[in-house]
Amino acid sequence: MISLSQPNRVVMTGLSVLSPLGNNLAELTKHVFGGVSGIKRLDVPFVDQLDCKIGAQANFNPEDHFSKHTYSMLDRTSQMALYTSIEAIKHAELVIDVALKPRMGIYLGTGMGGAHSIEEGYVRLYRDGASRLKPFTVLMSMNNAAASAIALEHQITGPNQTFSTACSSSTVAIGEAARLIRHGYADVMLAGGAEALLTYGTIKAWEALRTLAEEDADDLAASCKPFSANRTGLVLGEGAAMLVLESYEHAKARGAVIYGEIAGYGTTNDSSHITQPSVNGQAATMQAALNDAQLLPSDVQYINAHGTGTQLNDITETNAIKKVFGEHAYQLSVSSTKSIHGHLMGAAGALEAIITALSVYTNKMPPTINLAQRDPECDLDYVPNVFKTLPKLDYAMSNSFAFGGTGAALILKKVN
Amino acid sequence: MLSQTYSLNEIEQVLVDLIADKIDIDRSSIHSESNLKELGLDSLDTFDLIFSAEDYFKIKVPSDQIKIETLHDVSILIHNLITAQKQ
Repeated sequence: MISLSQPNRVVMTGLSVLSPLGNNLAELTKHVFGGVSGIKRLDVPFVDQLDCKIGAQANFNPEDHFSKHTYSMLDRTSQMALYTSIEAIKHAELVIDVALKPRMGIYLGTGMGGAHSIEEGYVRLYRDGASRLKPFTVLMSMNNAAASAIALEHQITGPNQTFSTACSSSTVAIGEAARLIRHGYADVMLAGGAEALLTYGTIKAWEALRTLAEEDADDLAASCKPFSANRTGLVLGEGAAMLVLESYEHAKARGAVIYGEIAGYGTTNDSSHITQPSVNGQAATMQAALNDAQLLPSDVQYINAHGTGTQLNDITETNAIKKVFGEHAYQLSVSSTKSIHGHLMGAAGALEAIITALSVYTNKMPPTINLAQRDPECDLDYVPNVFKTLPKLDYAMSNSFAFGGTGAALILKKVN
Repeated sequence: MLSQTYSLNEIEQVLVDLIADKIDIDRSSIHSESNLKELGLDSLDTFDLIFSAEDYFKIKVPSDQIKIETLHDVSILIHNLITAQKQ
């Protein structure tokens, strides 16, 4: 029921990933807490034409999961999103009956939507000189294709929206979905993100921005080094991550396993520069999440940082954390799991939210790997190279910041 | 360059291959009088089939001519276009 006076608690009951660290939670857990990187030389036909030959690819063959009729009408982004939606529902042991369908929706984040389909169309037109495109081109390219494919698959008729705020897209999707449930507009939401942009044109566009990490000559897998003085940038990745969110009452009534609660969500815009992060902007995002959760800074024990591994982001985020958390910034732990799974862009926030959910569920904080050289301007506890365990991890924050300035932060809470 | 000549039967066999490639269907279950909808092809799938056939036969099917129900309808359409192109 829609309830403005009595907000619902929102809990996570299904988690699923398709990532450079594996396509299920067991693989993800093994690699992300073990600090085993999924970054390697890109397995793409155009790799020799790239300046940056590394990436974090998902091991995903759509033929293994869908009929040809299904996957040939979907961009890789939608294929991956669809796969994770099916797995998340299975993980939640959720039965979508007639009564639930209108009370369940899908909020998805993606930065570039059907990047493969757009590029394939351009190649056909401009390189091959074709005069027309495949009839499915628009339907495969549009940013809301993935969320639509999920609705069709599960016959879910509630709210269906796609958020595109670059690297914070799926954090926004999860936060907004949680708000829908909190205020009674839905009982259950699939929320997450998907991104598949490892195309020649997109990688070249990223190369031009000069934010990509240089290859580590000794170990390609160690190329992304957030918070380390020798960091050189981010590593592009692909994948999808999906959560089943539901009201606490709905989850309890059906006896669902609860992996944690979405206790707070904040989103703001830097409004200062299209690419340069801002301390004030990032601090405002984190503070908004704390306010939403009605928590004190000292309640937060762990932050899954945006931590891209660029010189600028990591100092800015460190300073923003200090601005919000004060002295407590030196008590809590911060890690960037992008050092392990790369930067999944529109799917990054969802993957990191799932990792953060696993943290509050298991009391384990994943490491920042490749942190070998201390940067005097990055002086927090970044959980260097080896995961840490707390006796009880009650509150964790997951940060996402983005080109375009939209930051988003989630606060996840342990549910006993 | 003039289009190659195809018999109706040859066109039909190419179309069967194209359909089977799109929807994972046993080729033997596709017949000349098969209704495309009943085979599982919706309107978008039919556009996609026409698109593939255009590529294969090097023809262009005008949009106002895509009024087809059966495999045979498509074969006739393509056959007529190839014939018209050769004249």
